[in-house]
Amino acid sequence: MEENTEKMPIRCKAAMSKVAGEPLEMEEVEVAPPRAHEVRIRILCTSLCHTDVTFWRMKDLPAMYPSILGHEATGVVESVGDGVVEVAVGDTVVPVFSAQCGDCADCLSDRSNICSGLPIRPGGMPRDGRSRFSFASTGEPIHHFISVSSFSEYTVVDVAEIVPGGIPHEMACLLSCCVSTGVGAAWKVAAVEPGSSVAVFGLGAVGLAVTQGCRMHGAKRIIGIDLNPEKREIGKRLGITDFIDPNGTDGRTVSEVIKEMTGGGADYCFECIGSTSVMAEAFKSSRMGWGKTIVLGVSNDVAPISIPSHDILRGRSVVGSLFGGLKPKTDIPILAQMYLDKELELALEEFVTHEMGFDDINTALELLTQGKCLRCIIWMDGAREKENVVKVKPKENGRACEAA
Amino acid sequence: MEDKCPEPIHCKVPAAARRRAAAVCRAAGEPLTVEEVVVDPPRAYELRIKIVCTSLCHSDVTFWRMKVRIAGPISFPIARVRVIFGHEAFGKCSLLRFPFSVLLFENFCALAEDSAWFGLHFKFHEKDVPNPDFLWPVIRDRVVESVGEHVEGFAAGDSVVPTFLSQCSECTDCKSSRSNVCSKYRFAVRPGMPRDDTTRFRDAGGSPLHHFLGVSSFSEYTVVDVTQVVKVDPALPPPTACLLSCGASTGVGAAWKLAKVEPGSSVAIFGLGAVGLAVAEGARICGASKIIGVDLNPEKDELGKKFGVTHFINPKELGEKTVSQVIIEMTDGGADYCFECIGLAALMSDAFQSSREGWGKTIILGVEMHGAPFSIPSREILHGKCVMGSLFGGVKPKQDIPILAEKYLNKELELDKFITHEVALKDINTAFDLLLQGKSLRCTIWMDK
Repeated sequence: MEENTEKMPIRCKAAMSKVAGEPLEMEEVEVAPPRAHEVRIRILCTSLCHTDVTFWRMKDLPAMYPSILGHEATGVVESVGDGVVEVAVGDTVVPVFSAQCGDCADCLSDRSNICSGLPIRPGGMPRDGRSRFSFASTGEPIHHFISVSSFSEYTVVDVAEIVPGGIPHEMACLLSCCVSTGVGAAWKVAAVEPGSSVAVFGLGAVGLAVTQGCRMHGAKRIIGIDLNPEKREIGKRLGITDFIDPNGTDGRTVSEVIKEMTGGGADYCFECIGSTSVMAEAFKSSRMGWGKTIVLGVSNDVAPISIPSHDILRGRSVVGSLFGGLKPKTDIPILAQMYLDKELELALEEFVTHEMGFDDINTALELLTQGKCLRCIIWMDGAREKENVVKVKPKENGRACEAA
Repeated sequence: MEDKCPEPIHCKVPAAARRRAAAVCRAAGEPLTVEEVVVDPPRAYELRIKIVCTSLCHSDVTFWRMKVRIAGPISFPIARVRVIFGHEAFGKCSLLRFPFSVLLFENFCALAEDSAWFGLHFKFHEKDVPNPDFLWPVIRDRVVESVGEHVEGFAAGDSVVPTFLSQCSECTDCKSSRSNVCSKYRFAVRPGMPRDDTTRFRDAGGSPLHHFLGVSSFSEYTVVDVTQVVKVDPALPPPTACLLSCGASTGVGAAWKLAKVEPGSSVAIFGLGAVGLAVAEGARICGASKIIGVDLNPEKDELGKKFGVTHFINPKELGEKTVSQVIIEMTDGGADYCFECIGLAALMSDAFQSSREGWGKTIILGVEMHGAPFSIPSREILHGKCVMGSLFGGVKPKQDIPILAEKYLNKELELDKFITHEVALKDINTAFDLLLQGKSLRCTIWMDK
């Protein structure tokens, strides 16, 4: 591709994380042009994932300040750097925090989805570790967040982390993290077989996506566990067969209840929260002989997971994964097709509970931290009117997970 | 059911040529005493086995010296005394009940009358007649061995190994290839037999003696549940067969069956005892290209080479670096498979950290000697790592021990190198000393020397 001589920095709006836990501040930033193997994207819509919240609250490394958070998004290619042939200006794409360079041992193997060719470099771009963002007023650099940084009208992403879009934007957005993580975990990491019994700890977007994935693979029993009793209804709609509220078990532990329900423990237990004590409880809820615990939640890592050493000897295992074990470029198109193929009933619409403009991004943070939403789709200015091809949804659509 | 035929065996018969004895633990951590014991007849679904030889496994040592109760499913009461340890062994069984035959019955009566001792010690029901093929060696040995009711598939003189893990072949786990932990007769450290929790042993004074893992092989005779007995090829040398009843099967099984090590893999083994070296042997026959052994005993460096270990790490000689840092360097990112073969939580965590992101698997085989939990950093496991544990290396006893035996007999698997010492039963405490001092791998304890 010949060099684009008109590559200039772009000035635009971004929601900045400056102090841990404080509301994001809108600032004017300068976004540098894409370098070789990079793509500059105009974000259409982005959504808030709890991992953004976990890092937003974190005072120390690996959280960095100031930074632009956000990693679930859909965008349009504005310009490309040298050597980019996969996508062209004007293409709709989904950026993903998990790279797929296609060349390293991990990308070439089906056992792994952790690209070792382009590992995540905290705060910067994967190839040179530097930032493409700076404050428009001072030129001070701003840190990236896991190579995506979608809480900005424009961002720069490595081409190894770009997947062509192809379904309605707000659905495609979900495939860039939560739904792929959940469905992938059931499909690839656990490889749930028909007739399995499954326990899902945490019925947020990831847990509900796990539920969908397990249902699609024929699980017979899907037990959903959540402290929020309102998750029961949405859980049932998306496929859970039983619901446990840990505060409503008459003093028994969750693992005791699950072992009773399943006659010894579930075949697969998924942790979709990011709490190491829940990970340990999930382990205890798994069946002897072949019970697998799948860790998906991103914790703040203050405490490690504590595994009873004698219990693991009885044929149990614990496995963790990023992005549900999926290879982004290979597998996101497959999930997109699953959504379009109505037979499989991948109900992406159920995950979108709120929509709002970019200026209301802090509302999204409040809703998520209060457990009142699944996914808030944040539309960039002008994106909804011009680009959206599906009918606009009401802002709040009365889902069960909202508190009255 | 009542076992109508045999009487209890007193394992020290005055007129007999050989002594009958067992090594009894009377105090945690103290030397065993070799003394006369009484071994009851087998009940329904049980076999009484004449132990030919047994060997000492570190799990025996772990429970022998355990003084306190450990929380959880594996627990041992305080001051557990009067136990017969041992769970790695090889022996012979024989069948007593056969279809009625008048001719044989008459001959048998004649023989019984001729042998006063035999007549005294053997009582039979009129419907039952011993197998004539078996009769002569029996009379010669002046021992009658027995099986309880409902035991099928075992015949006189069968070479068998007892296993601490059951295989009932009926439950969901036994029927599945994904599991080797029988859910009908769950593994537990209990003082009695698995079906009724009672004991078959008494000491000379008549006090009950406790079983260990339902095997109790530090005895000339023992009673084992039929779900814990595996027939093996008689061509197997007894000390080798012994190894297949625990240590060698656990290690080889873990590499071959559980981890499924592929050719070209890198493997790290924490602890080069018999189990760790069996993992190395298993990894070798699976074609691993790098087998890293980690042990505090520098002598294991030379020994490890005989078992296929390609790189040796002594944690005390690394200076500032940690073991996992060194392994990650050696393997350019972490080993494909890491095995913990000691039983220490800190090493389980080290093994996990030494495994490769993306697909690295950590396999826990060691029985934690303090019952302590081990820790996994949660962010690290998200990067595609897996940790799993197993009893007996994922091996289903009745199905897989014969497969391993065949691999040995056709020279694919080399097991003789595990046996470094041998002693007679009376010197069993020497076996403990050798193991505790790190001087032996497997010491064969012969009953008949």
